[in-house]
Amino acid sequence: MQRYILSRMVQSLLILLGVLFIVFFMLQLTGDPVSLMVSRNASPEQVERLREEMGFNRPLIIQFGDFIGGALVGDFGMSLRHRQPAMKLILERLPATVELATTALLIALCIGIPLGLLSGSNPGSFWDTLARGAGLVGQTIPNFWLALILIVVFSVELGWFPTFGRRTWEVFGMELPTKSVILPAFSLGLFTTGQLVRFTRSAVLEIKNEDYVRTAYSKGLKDNQIYLRHILRNASIPLISIVGVQFGYLLSGSIYIETIFSWPGIGNLLAEAIGNRDFALVQAIAFFASLVVVTLNLLTDIAYGLADPRIRYGD
Amino acid sequence: MERIGRILLMIFLSMALAAPAIAAEPEGTLRVATTTMPNAIDLPMGAERNAHNVAWQMYNSLVWINDEGTVVPALADSWIISEDGSEITFKLKKGIKFHNGEPFDADSVVYTWERGKQDKMQWKEKFAIAENVEKIDDYTVKIDTGKPNPLLFRVMAEYWAMIPPEYHKKVGENEFLNNPVGTGPFKFKEWRKGDRIVFEANPDYWEEGLPKVKNLIFRPIPESTTRMAAIQTNEVDIVTRLSSEEAENLMNVQGVKVTNYPVDRVYYIAFNNLTSGKGKPTEDPKVRQAMNYAVDVKAIIDALFEGYGREATGYVTPGNLGYDEQIKPFGYDLEKAEKLLAEAGYPDGFKIGFACPSGAYTNFEQVCEAIQGFLSGVGIETDLQLMESGKYWDLEGKKQLPPLFGDSWSEATGEALPRLKGALGGMDASFSAWSDPKIKEFLDKIGQTIDDAERAELYVELQRYMQENPPFIYLYEPVTFEAMSPKVKDYRPRPAENYYLKYTSVEK
Repeated sequence: MQRYILSRMVQSLLILLGVLFIVFFMLQLTGDPVSLMVSRNASPEQVERLREEMGFNRPLIIQFGDFIGGALVGDFGMSLRHRQPAMKLILERLPATVELATTALLIALCIGIPLGLLSGSNPGSFWDTLARGAGLVGQTIPNFWLALILIVVFSVELGWFPTFGRRTWEVFGMELPTKSVILPAFSLGLFTTGQLVRFTRSAVLEIKNEDYVRTAYSKGLKDNQIYLRHILRNASIPLISIVGVQFGYLLSGSIYIETIFSWPGIGNLLAEAIGNRDFALVQAIAFFASLVVVTLNLLTDIAYGLADPRIRYGD
Repeated sequence: MERIGRILLMIFLSMALAAPAIAAEPEGTLRVATTTMPNAIDLPMGAERNAHNVAWQMYNSLVWINDEGTVVPALADSWIISEDGSEITFKLKKGIKFHNGEPFDADSVVYTWERGKQDKMQWKEKFAIAENVEKIDDYTVKIDTGKPNPLLFRVMAEYWAMIPPEYHKKVGENEFLNNPVGTGPFKFKEWRKGDRIVFEANPDYWEEGLPKVKNLIFRPIPESTTRMAAIQTNEVDIVTRLSSEEAENLMNVQGVKVTNYPVDRVYYIAFNNLTSGKGKPTEDPKVRQAMNYAVDVKAIIDALFEGYGREATGYVTPGNLGYDEQIKPFGYDLEKAEKLLAEAGYPDGFKIGFACPSGAYTNFEQVCEAIQGFLSGVGIETDLQLMESGKYWDLEGKKQLPPLFGDSWSEATGEALPRLKGALGGMDASFSAWSDPKIKEFLDKIGQTIDDAERAELYVELQRYMQENPPFIYLYEPVTFEAMSPKVKDYRPRPAENYYLKYTSVEK
């Protein structure tokens, strides 16, 4: 197990390095940020001087070396637009994104799994039709479109939720979510909900016909016990992998949803950083997002072992 | 006795009449949506218009440009201009305090200038406009611009926000940006990054009776559809930069007032005679005139902006000093265009490169496609390239765009000179692709003429010259749409899309 984790960590590190490499060179293709940093009235000499000061006139490979050197010690440089350390800006926005991602995942879990179970256990029933419809809709509706519709219906027409922004409720210095998170979280979690419904359903359908389930029935166990102890537990392995991977994506910030709802998270920051060619900030966010995804994937693999004792790693 | 009674009555009446003149306490909350989150509540560091709009609510400069566009005293009481026009001595107001209690004096002016002109500041050239700022005594400073500069006052009013030296030195740059301090009508209270900036009325503000509202909150809402929803749900009081379609949708909504006003921005297709356009037909003024006649700008405004917008007559807008009322837009005249092209020796037109930025301005891609169509109507074939705006401006700054390229230029000072110099300054200006010795002569002269009337006269002459020898295909000046709650009174946005909210109130 330890050896497995160690080798996965080395792999993860290589992935992160790859991400840094790609992001760095892709950003260079977008042009030079200096032209956005000076006023349009600046003279060519002023522009050149700034380019020199910022180090953008050095060979790319040296700039990349510098960047990697900094990144290894957690220094992603200063945001060009905010003139503050890029990582600091990310950490400031992190609580909002964590709140949104966690709520989105909770919504997906609370809707997706029960609906999938109901549907898988009663194929052809009303619940099955509903669940299959929901799964399809969840995976096909573009979430930014849904977000706008939700705003029009639930904020403008019904007035149930705020249109934009994040409001928190402070209790003993802790920031607790309020209803402002519901619409963005629902829009964001929709895809994952759809995925969970479909995966749970097919897993349940498959496992229901396994020998051990039939045995359990013949032992006279009750439905509840069979579903919880046998079916759900066995279905949880593919679900864990979906939840782990999806949570990684949710946590790395959603550009569309956060921008539409003006949610002060990392996705919103990234949208702004890309628009302003804020290289340092884009690189830092890309690194942060891949770190989250890679870490969650690793944790997911480890969690398999806990859910299914038969899975052993490299022993 | 009767007389005494009458006098008493008069005294009583005069007191009663005077009562409303006693300044009302600021009250209520004004919530303004911005289109981006300011990067800093600071002038020299603020990246763009939103940052500056937020920042000016809590700062003052020595002078201010009032709603009529006139320079009036702010933290300076008066000033004397030296005979040669290159030195201005300001007498400062006494008894003014920063929000932290630090007194405002000549040291604040010197310190603000020294900080602003540092290399790391985005707008350092707006401070470097002064060669030296010298303290004469505690309440007198002398500003030396080397040679006369008619823009000094306007640039000061737009950028020189006075900051407290002692506080800034004590806390350092980073902390200052997190907790800014000024002398303005509002003082900084809270900044939740990405979410809101909160100001409150400065109780000791030096302009009597101002500001009118107690709390001022800025909320960033980058998505215009969300801004539109937020004004309908009364979550904000003012939203800016809506599209004409969005504004029209809001027009019949109860509890929402929609306004529009022309913006000091000119859209144009630039010609190049410095790099890619050398030796091209567009070096001939007749060809350039013909291309102006060949494009139906009015049809573009009608089709793509629902009629909202003004045909540009040149590079000076109606709000600018020296705008020529007599000048008319070229107008769409196919016959004239063909005749001019024939005279220039291109009766069948020619081929030329053309580029426009995408994603930068409302419907600009379609505008450029329409222009491509109009030009092909007189035989001028263009291979329109639409480029991502960041890349585009990068190439524009390096003068590497094709000989025809579209863009726009806004101006905040109320005078067209910076825009003219920027786009027509030849090799000395990054974003210029055009050089014309006659235009340069005009610009040099304008840049050294302190007298407004004389300068206005020069602008008029220049505009006429620029019709005969157009360095652009002049397109349009846009209209911006905003929506607000009917409770908001005295919100006075300006053509540069800037505003000062000290007069604005919110009815209960």
